[in-house]
Amino acid sequence: MRTNSSDSRKAKAMLTMSRIVVYAILVFLSVLCLFSFYMLIINSTRSNADLQGGFKILPQGNFLENLKNAWNDSSINIPRGMANSFLVALCTSVLTTYFSSLTAYGLYAYDFKLRKIATTFILAVMVIPKQVSASGFVQICFKYGLTDSYIPLILPGIAAPIVFFYMLQYMKSVLPMEIVDAARVDGSGEFATFNRIVLPMIKPAVAVQMIFSFVESWNNYFLPALLLNKAEMKTVPIMIAQLRSADYSKFDLGKVYMFILLAILPVLCVYIFLSRFIIKGVTAGSVKG
Amino acid sequence: MKKALSMILVLVMVTAMFAGCGSAKPAETTAKPAETTAAPAETTAAPAETTEAPVAEYPEGKVFNIYAWNEEFKGFFEKYYTVPEGVTVNWIITPSDGGAYQEKLDQALLAQEGASDDDKVDLFLAEADYITKYTNSPLTQDITKLGVTDFSNTYAYTVQCASDGEGVVKGVSFQCCPSALIYRRSIAKDVLGTDDPAEVQAALSDWSKFNDVAAQAKAKGYYMTSSEAETYRVFSNNAAEAWVDADNNLQIPEAIKTWMAQAKEYTDNGYTLTCDIWSEECTAQMFAEGKTMCFFGPAWYYNFCMGNAQDPEKGCYGDWAICEGPQAHFWGGTWLLAPVGTDNPTMVAEIMNQFINDEETCSNLVKNEMQFSNNQAVNAKFANDPDFGNAFLGGQNDTALYCELSKNIVFENHTHYDQVINEKLQACWREYCDGEVTEDQALANFYALINENYPTIVTP
Amino acid sequence: MQTTKSKPRVKRKKGISYAKWGYLFILPFFLAYCIFSLAPQVLTIYNSFFENYREGLMQVGPKFVGLQNYVKLFTPDKNGSISILKFAANTMVMWVEGAVPQVLIALLLSVFFTSYRLKIRGQQFFKTVIYMPNLIMASAFSMLFFTLFSNVGPVNQLIMYFGWSEEVIPFFDKQVTVRGLVATMNFLMWFGNTTILLMAGIMGIDQTLFEAANLDGANSLQVFFKVTLPLLMPVLVYTIITALIGGLQMFDVPQVLTNGAGTPNRSSTTLIMYLNNFLKTSKNYGMAGAVSVIIFVITGLLSILVFKSLTKDDD
Repeated sequence: MRTNSSDSRKAKAMLTMSRIVVYAILVFLSVLCLFSFYMLIINSTRSNADLQGGFKILPQGNFLENLKNAWNDSSINIPRGMANSFLVALCTSVLTTYFSSLTAYGLYAYDFKLRKIATTFILAVMVIPKQVSASGFVQICFKYGLTDSYIPLILPGIAAPIVFFYMLQYMKSVLPMEIVDAARVDGSGEFATFNRIVLPMIKPAVAVQMIFSFVESWNNYFLPALLLNKAEMKTVPIMIAQLRSADYSKFDLGKVYMFILLAILPVLCVYIFLSRFIIKGVTAGSVKG
Repeated sequence: MKKALSMILVLVMVTAMFAGCGSAKPAETTAKPAETTAAPAETTAAPAETTEAPVAEYPEGKVFNIYAWNEEFKGFFEKYYTVPEGVTVNWIITPSDGGAYQEKLDQALLAQEGASDDDKVDLFLAEADYITKYTNSPLTQDITKLGVTDFSNTYAYTVQCASDGEGVVKGVSFQCCPSALIYRRSIAKDVLGTDDPAEVQAALSDWSKFNDVAAQAKAKGYYMTSSEAETYRVFSNNAAEAWVDADNNLQIPEAIKTWMAQAKEYTDNGYTLTCDIWSEECTAQMFAEGKTMCFFGPAWYYNFCMGNAQDPEKGCYGDWAICEGPQAHFWGGTWLLAPVGTDNPTMVAEIMNQFINDEETCSNLVKNEMQFSNNQAVNAKFANDPDFGNAFLGGQNDTALYCELSKNIVFENHTHYDQVINEKLQACWREYCDGEVTEDQALANFYALINENYPTIVTP
Repeated sequence: MQTTKSKPRVKRKKGISYAKWGYLFILPFFLAYCIFSLAPQVLTIYNSFFENYREGLMQVGPKFVGLQNYVKLFTPDKNGSISILKFAANTMVMWVEGAVPQVLIALLLSVFFTSYRLKIRGQQFFKTVIYMPNLIMASAFSMLFFTLFSNVGPVNQLIMYFGWSEEVIPFFDKQVTVRGLVATMNFLMWFGNTTILLMAGIMGIDQTLFEAANLDGANSLQVFFKVTLPLLMPVLVYTIITALIGGLQMFDVPQVLTNGAGTPNRSSTTLIMYLNNFLKTSKNYGMAGAVSVIIFVITGLLSILVFKSLTKDDD
């Protein structure tokens, strides 16, 4: 008995110690991560002239002025840009995650002649650098008149090798084939099995990849800049670049920082919303288990 | 359908003839600058006449596409140009970031032939640094044939700049950008004993004098320039050879070699800091506490890029003045170019004529927009105005000086490679000046970069 | 859907073939891939055997030149150095500097977060915060870092204030500091991302296994090495390979941080920055194609290496 209690006391002390270490690490990393946001917020409260003259640690009084200037800028329409970006990012992330899961499931759960070849093919093309095919992609879009359209920004999301790879690896570790077989015995159609049984089981992975693809699409500058001409179709990163390359008389760094700050808010919301979902999906799973 | 089409075709041809008549007018007035302001008014009358034609529609393309990288010209255009009724102006603005503007423009120009009329580029903007790429291309057209023929009031270099190798003019600029030596009055007083622009100019009128003053400034604890690249444009604008010879061999012009020697010497002697001219380190020197005596730049530079100097707390507003410096040169500027295949040739000519020859428009640019216009008569008017002065420069009438400076600017020996080559040389050479790499390595890096950017240039 | 579903039922004998469902499920992916990615990619490889660039606005080529572009890439300059090897080495060094701490810290954090023993409070907060740097556009993030570490920036002001150094430290002129900053930024931007991936992986592991291990008296280290790590392997392999692919395509951060120059002495120039130099001014699809084929080969070889060394059994 005695030894047991001293053991547990020891264990408790160990636990407290390790908690302190863990919290210290977490706090340190959080400070590092938050610092750039702090700078961004501070900078969004400073005037252009002030920003040109180095760093300040405390907020200045130009926040509302910058907000007003950014909001009223005649060349950019912030709500419109955000709505455009949101539409593109949402469609892309939904298509990407859904079809990557579907593909991964197709290659994970079914045995067919071309299975191995198809899997190897996708894994092989995953390592092709995006940048070069991007310039060829733009050429093709111009050839077929796909400019000023969201199609070339959204539809390619259906084929995302990296997301596919994640889904495949995830299914390997969490999806036993027995469950699929059980569903078949119950008379569930293959497509219904995927939608009703498999998708809920891989919810955490879906949520994670949705966040990532949403953010990636939201921050994408290169392709939209080349493909979108019409002002009313432009997305947030193009507008920020436009503000940054404004001519000297209109250049306002305060406005730029303000817009960057505003641009982060929607992704932050999506992130917080979806990360709750991850937790929920997992707790639901553990209750069942 | 076919009938309608042929009707339109006939109409277009007829109106083109009208337009031809209208635009012939300014050619006659070339010799008389005083009358030129009336000319654009007449050209604008041309489309008006055509409205009497059977169908009361604008005779040329209904969509006018302008490609630009920012909103500067769009602002002037919307304020001062009246778009003919029935025409929609479409601005395609792509930021220059990462070469996106040229990428999009090139794409559109190369597709111009097959594009529908409403998608054709009708006018596009280009900067001095890469304008040669477009003027030397068959994708831009001779604007004298469109009816822009009067260049008597514009500055010669702006026309040279917009001309191809054979002297065919492809565009115009609405501004002139002579660059001056901008100095701190208080530091000049301390070093030279005077801050009077004429006396300072006498002390800095050539490079050997400039070097002497640099040594004096150093002795008093100042920097002559804030960046070793500060003087680069003065040399590169006046180079006697182009960057590549007839066989496309890379050659470093003598003027650039002089700069390279100066850059190293100034760094070693502590006459200058080594940094990019756009860097914070460089602009920090514009505060009152800054220790730098000389900057180089045109009017837009101190109006818009010397915010630190104008800072109410840390700045030194009024403690500045300008003089010519060792050599005349220019910096920047935006040109309007006419692509082949525009379906609005009359309107293109009208816009160009207005922004170089219309007195009212040019005056507005000077008065309201702090531009140094591309109209000598208008600029002279402000230069001779005794009440016209710039408080930032302690009341100096800078327009007067720019009028003088702009006479000596030349645009020669430029290639479409210049922008990239200048940029790469400065970056590679800075590392040598800083002692990060050997001279040999700096040049090797420079050559490698040129090979990556231009496959046809042969490097040593 | 109904009709297709009923057919196999009618024909079904003993062993049901679900193969057609497999084909059907992967069809959209392959269709989209062929239209939007394969065509440009094939074009890329095809281009690498051609002379194809623009001189000003004039198109030169395409003219078949065989392996000439590859020969050019591997021809040493006067000083005997081969650019592409130098930039491949730069890329690898900067990747390793950032990715090793990235994966290790992410592994550590994901174990912390999922640990039933530690029961970390404020998890939601920490998880949100560590992912946040990824939300900023890489170019904006680099812009902030540049201001922080510039010669007149706050970091140097602090160093001077406390007298840690006699002179201003030119962070962007020294190889060690530039590479260090690039690695740090990549680490900051991606370790949260990796943590989330690994966490989702750990959460997918059957929880009863942990409970069983705890009941058997295993300590945290034993649980980690004997239960968590082996079961996490597929996801960990994924993480490392994608980090590697991302790393070899490193571009935005060094590009913006060094103003596109990859200084000093080109030691922070990455392979994609090199490729970008070919594409940007002269649209040199020939050379760019050759560079991307090389990148493809390097990435492929390294990925196989990682995959083989981390996965023992194969299906």
